[in-house]
Amino acid sequence: MKNAISLSALCCALATSAFAQDKTLTISVYSFAQDEYKEILYDPFEEICDCTLVVETGNSVERMAKIEANASNPVIDMAVIASQDALELARKDLLAQLDVSKLANLSKLYSAAQDPIGDNFAVGYTFYASSIVYRSDLIKVNSWADLLDEKLAGNVALPNITGTQGPLTLMMLDKAAGNDGSDLTGVISEVGKHADDIVTFYSRSSELTQLMNQEEVIAAPVGRFAWSAFKDSPLPFAWAEPAEGQAGGMNVMVMTKGNGNEDLAYQFMDYWLSTEVQTKVAEALVDSPANAEVVVSDEIADNLTYGADLINSLNLLSPAEIIDNREAWVEQWNTEVIQ
Amino acid sequence: MFSNTREGLALALPAAIFALLLFILPVGILLSEAFQSDAGWTLSGYTDFFSKPLNQTVFLRTLKLGVLVAGTAAVIGYAAAFSISNLSPVARGRVFGLVILPLMISPVARTYAWIVILGRTGIVNDALVGLGLADTPIRLLFTETAVFLGLLQLFMPLMIISLLSAMENIPRDVIPAARVLGANWFQVFFRVILPLTKEGLVVGGTLVFTGALTAYITPAILGGSKVLMLETLLYQQVNVSNDFVSASVIAMILIIMSFTANLLLKRIATARK
Repeated sequence: MKNAISLSALCCALATSAFAQDKTLTISVYSFAQDEYKEILYDPFEEICDCTLVVETGNSVERMAKIEANASNPVIDMAVIASQDALELARKDLLAQLDVSKLANLSKLYSAAQDPIGDNFAVGYTFYASSIVYRSDLIKVNSWADLLDEKLAGNVALPNITGTQGPLTLMMLDKAAGNDGSDLTGVISEVGKHADDIVTFYSRSSELTQLMNQEEVIAAPVGRFAWSAFKDSPLPFAWAEPAEGQAGGMNVMVMTKGNGNEDLAYQFMDYWLSTEVQTKVAEALVDSPANAEVVVSDEIADNLTYGADLINSLNLLSPAEIIDNREAWVEQWNTEVIQ
Repeated sequence: MFSNTREGLALALPAAIFALLLFILPVGILLSEAFQSDAGWTLSGYTDFFSKPLNQTVFLRTLKLGVLVAGTAAVIGYAAAFSISNLSPVARGRVFGLVILPLMISPVARTYAWIVILGRTGIVNDALVGLGLADTPIRLLFTETAVFLGLLQLFMPLMIISLLSAMENIPRDVIPAARVLGANWFQVFFRVILPLTKEGLVVGGTLVFTGALTAYITPAILGGSKVLMLETLLYQQVNVSNDFVSASVIAMILIIMSFTANLLLKRIATARK
């Protein structure tokens, strides 16, 4: 009898263990800082949910293509992408509208992050400022217009228009020229006139880090998320605070439509948005917090896009505007700038 | 060699199945996308591609750099192969080892070495400024010149190996005989060496031209987005624009350019008989 009970207990334990193994959440994220995310977010969440987290990484285009290719039977449950990419997926009917009542931490977010693309298709988890990194021993950057100034000719790199930083830079260059930054056709032509003065049009921030450390470039616009790669360099780099202000963007969480794993996805998203996780992610200088309750030291804050004042001051380009005009911008860019 | 053709076919079958399933089929499917639209079979992918000024520029730049790299490699390769072929067997072996040494080093490492050489703080600029030939460092990276040099260095060994192999088959007394009969070195090259090494030139020219067309790392690192070539444009179409139709069109254009170069070189070689 004793043996029979022991055997039953063992069977139950094995069954429970097998059931836990069955609970799997597949997430699609950016490739960077995965070691930090594993320690701060993934491993603790697996313990909490008693489930397995499958993490897929890659660039935005690859990850969006995978979501689209598996629309009828989603293999990705939730993803983090740029807000304009989220809107593009939502317009293709690939995203689920979020039931925000299942996100207890939503109310703690800055208001801009609570429903960034409308209709609750996404929720912001990090902001980033975008400004100009420059060599403080050689120059002083006071305006976005300095990037096209003759004094810096042959020493500046600009982001390619196909990346997230490209349209933000063009918007700020347009504002520096005295316009409102909504119609980028004029500023693309202006960049085209200065194309020979631009060292290169970079696609990844890591590419820019390398160029600036090799002294090929002494000034370039970049997202604040890349600042940690510059601040430890032996060369003196500074973060500009241009007269026109800094540009800004937001990365968001989305859930694929009909993934069948909604409850676990909500649990994971809410955990990521919690003050505890957002604080740890911020302290590791991985992502700036979208949770307004996060408090970090001044030293940490200096390296992040942190605080209501800064976030509210950012010049944002609406995701809808980017999606509606991207094709025409790229066409004009290819004709007048790259060629 | 085989008692019947079945044995020969049976031995070739695994390789044939491998090539069919893992190369011909997937590449065929990918390339066929360039001829398809919602309405059926079409050439609109190609007309759209060539209607864009950027694509025209990139196509012509790729062709120009491919021809320049192959042509320059042939000129330098002939001189190098000729001098190597006249060395003693021991010295020839050592120099040949040096020629193929770069092929054992990753193209990524070889290309990054050019950044050290051509950068603003690189050896070339240091020398130019140090000798007073330039007031400030000049822009060498992200130019066609940088891509040309990178590709030339990358593929030069292939041309030298092909020409050296062809040159070693020239009978040893042919060149002295031509000189004794009054031919100058110009005549010796065009009337003796070139006709006798044309197969090596065809092989080397095809390898270098095709390699220059299809190289990705070198134009990506040394040219960036300001010196786009077809291969870097193809990568952009897939990884930035998710446009597989344009990518398939570019892949097909690269294949056609490679085959055309090979046929053209063979035709030129045959015409000189």
